[in-house]
Amino acid sequence: MSIPAALMTGPTVLEPVVGKTDEMIVNLGPQHPATHGVLQIVLGVDGERVTRAVPHIGFLHRNHEKIEESRSYAQVIPYLDRMDYVSGLQNELPYCLAVEDLAGLEVPERAKYIRTAMFEFNRIISHLVWVGTYMLDLGAITPFLYAFRDREMALDIIERTTGGRMLPNYFTFGGVRRDVHPKFWQDLLDFLDYFEKVVPEYETLTVDAPVFQARSVGVGLLSQELAVNHGISGPNLRASGVAHDLRKDQPYDAYPELDFSVITRDEGDVWARSKVRMDEIYQSIDLIRQCAELAPRSGPYLARGRVKIEAGEQRYRAAEISRGQLGVYIHSDGGTGPYRSKHRSPSFVNLQIIPDLFIGQKFSDVIAILGSIDIVLGEVDR
Amino acid sequence: MALSSDKRSQLKRIPIPEDRHFKPQLVGYNPKTPNRLAEVLAHSLLYFVFVGLLLLIYGVLPWLFKLPGSPLASGGSFTTTGAVLYGILAAVLSFLVAAVAALILILVLRKYLGLVQNRYGPMHNGPAGAFQTIADAVKMVAKEDFVPGKADALVFTLAPLMVFVSAFLLLTIIPFAPGWVLANLNVGLLFIVAAGTIGAYGVLVGGWSINNKFGLLGGLRAAAQLVSYEIPLSISLLTVAVWVGSLNLMDIVEAQKLWWTAIPLLISAAVYLIASLAEIKMTPFDLPEAESELVAGFNTEYSGMRFGFFFVAEFAELFLLPAIAVVLFFGGYYQPLAGFWDFADVLRGLGAEGSTLNQFGGLLASAYGMLWFLLKTALLSYLVIWVRATLPRFRDDQLMELCWKVLIPLSLIGLAVAVILRLVFK
Repeated sequence: MSIPAALMTGPTVLEPVVGKTDEMIVNLGPQHPATHGVLQIVLGVDGERVTRAVPHIGFLHRNHEKIEESRSYAQVIPYLDRMDYVSGLQNELPYCLAVEDLAGLEVPERAKYIRTAMFEFNRIISHLVWVGTYMLDLGAITPFLYAFRDREMALDIIERTTGGRMLPNYFTFGGVRRDVHPKFWQDLLDFLDYFEKVVPEYETLTVDAPVFQARSVGVGLLSQELAVNHGISGPNLRASGVAHDLRKDQPYDAYPELDFSVITRDEGDVWARSKVRMDEIYQSIDLIRQCAELAPRSGPYLARGRVKIEAGEQRYRAAEISRGQLGVYIHSDGGTGPYRSKHRSPSFVNLQIIPDLFIGQKFSDVIAILGSIDIVLGEVDR
Repeated sequence: MALSSDKRSQLKRIPIPEDRHFKPQLVGYNPKTPNRLAEVLAHSLLYFVFVGLLLLIYGVLPWLFKLPGSPLASGGSFTTTGAVLYGILAAVLSFLVAAVAALILILVLRKYLGLVQNRYGPMHNGPAGAFQTIADAVKMVAKEDFVPGKADALVFTLAPLMVFVSAFLLLTIIPFAPGWVLANLNVGLLFIVAAGTIGAYGVLVGGWSINNKFGLLGGLRAAAQLVSYEIPLSISLLTVAVWVGSLNLMDIVEAQKLWWTAIPLLISAAVYLIASLAEIKMTPFDLPEAESELVAGFNTEYSGMRFGFFFVAEFAELFLLPAIAVVLFFGGYYQPLAGFWDFADVLRGLGAEGSTLNQFGGLLASAYGMLWFLLKTALLSYLVIWVRATLPRFRDDQLMELCWKVLIPLSLIGLAVAVILRLVFK
């Protein structure tokens, strides 16, 4: 099969516009310290001001969706970890939910709480990575090292529970793959007791810091309308004043039993997005505590059953991962694996907004805005 | 690389603890190395190695030259040969002093940055990483002397030298102790402005010559930064000249025997410290090399020893600008409140006038003054690194706004204060 000529165009080459001043075309990436992976943005800059921005993706494309068509349902899960490698556990959940729906598996109560706690725990880890790398983008090196210190402790708990650190392959249809160890809940609570005292430190270094506020307040304004029109989700959307959170709107696992409210802010700027993430760290701490309190300490961790899905069955399930709405669409042809598996990854959708936000901004602000959207290229390209 | 089986068996087995239960560490530092603060302090002691070098220039060399029967001196002063020889030796040695100071400072501040940032810093070369900068220097010298194909080779080579020379020129006018200054210029303050500015040109043309877009942006940012910080910096220098009534750095230090200039001229001192952060190109003003935005800014294409010149110059400035601040605002080589009681005077009073003990006491008094000078400078250098470890970077327009709208009015107010105080008190 030959590839259509229309698809064979190379990367866009922008011609500099010569006007009052000469436009300079700058390739931001794919090898650049602040693009968080292999994202390329071709920028037209007039001095320090950005006139055009064309994002290029695909440098990390690994063909996950096509590979998943030739795998059995259970074999797909390790691939999911590798999409958003910063929050591997969270990626597994929507796929598991969809397969559970199709196969009619009922998740035991205990597994629900374990999954919810781990889901929120991974949100803390993901937001820690965001705090660190984002402050690195803004030129502050220390928060990065503090964040990774705490992330390391958190990853130790994930490792002790699941066997993997970033790619755990832990959630499965009907529950979790292995039972948690006896000290699991105590581990989590001990960590949270420590971590709760450290988060104000991060706030001091980020959202409360005057220089950070100077760099972030009023920068990269994302209006409510623009956000909704582009399908932005996650903290980016909630920072623009839309109270959309799938944990509340389409609750899954143990979320219906937990007491929490959707965090929103109305400013819609870089600072608001940062503040929402900071508040979400507190929220996750609270949610894990609630899980630890409510979770049954004994009982099955896995509803064992055959995954048999009739031909023509299809299901879309989504979950609110750290970056927004991660959806999985599965279409079955009655075989052992999905006939078609489609991922709606939040970073990919959130990335669409960058030309709108970049144009007219300073070069330094471009980095600040890109970091505040919090993309993971593994998930953008899949 | 595959290990042979006997090699593999020699590898240290790391025992996995039976119970890997999570133990929260309330203090972020690794409890296994409680002596990291001690490491930083021990490395800081290395800093005083270059006390020895300075002593060599200002104390031991003249003494050696003036030994009885020496052909280099007659009647207590140098002969022509002696003066020339001393001039050459002193210049070479003082360059060594600056190089050693920069090398030690790189190490000490990296170690200190590690302490702030909850990591070890250099630790593999020598005891607790003491030889790290030497290893770095050897590596940089050993690298290929590479010029990018499209770069302007002449300017590309010249730029790091301009930065390097500009930084090290400043060293010549700094009075380390009474009488211990290489060039006792009457226009010392003007010299500071002149020599400091050459460096910014080096950054500008360096960024331009490498024919790299990030480099160009970095160089232009350096130019914008220069015109912004140079004015408040110069005005705060002027303030000191007005208050003391001299441009000579020795005179300025002598005028601070009782009260530091920083006490009446607090505003100017603050303005100088902030503006000198911009001159050192240290966070929050590291716009020209903003590594997360411009990759490495003006030195994107620099490698090997050319990069090394930029690097060493940066750390030399990290020593020299705080040193100038100490000279101008914080009493130079005088101990605090030296006007009331000065230990240096006690040392100078040792023995009878002109005796060996008396001469030795004078040398000790100078060394004592220099210790105070180095201590104050080190504390200010630590302050700069502390700021660097804490703050994010300003945007370029915010830097200019800060300099033009805040620092310049503030420095003018400082100048007015100095004029009024001088009229009232002197």
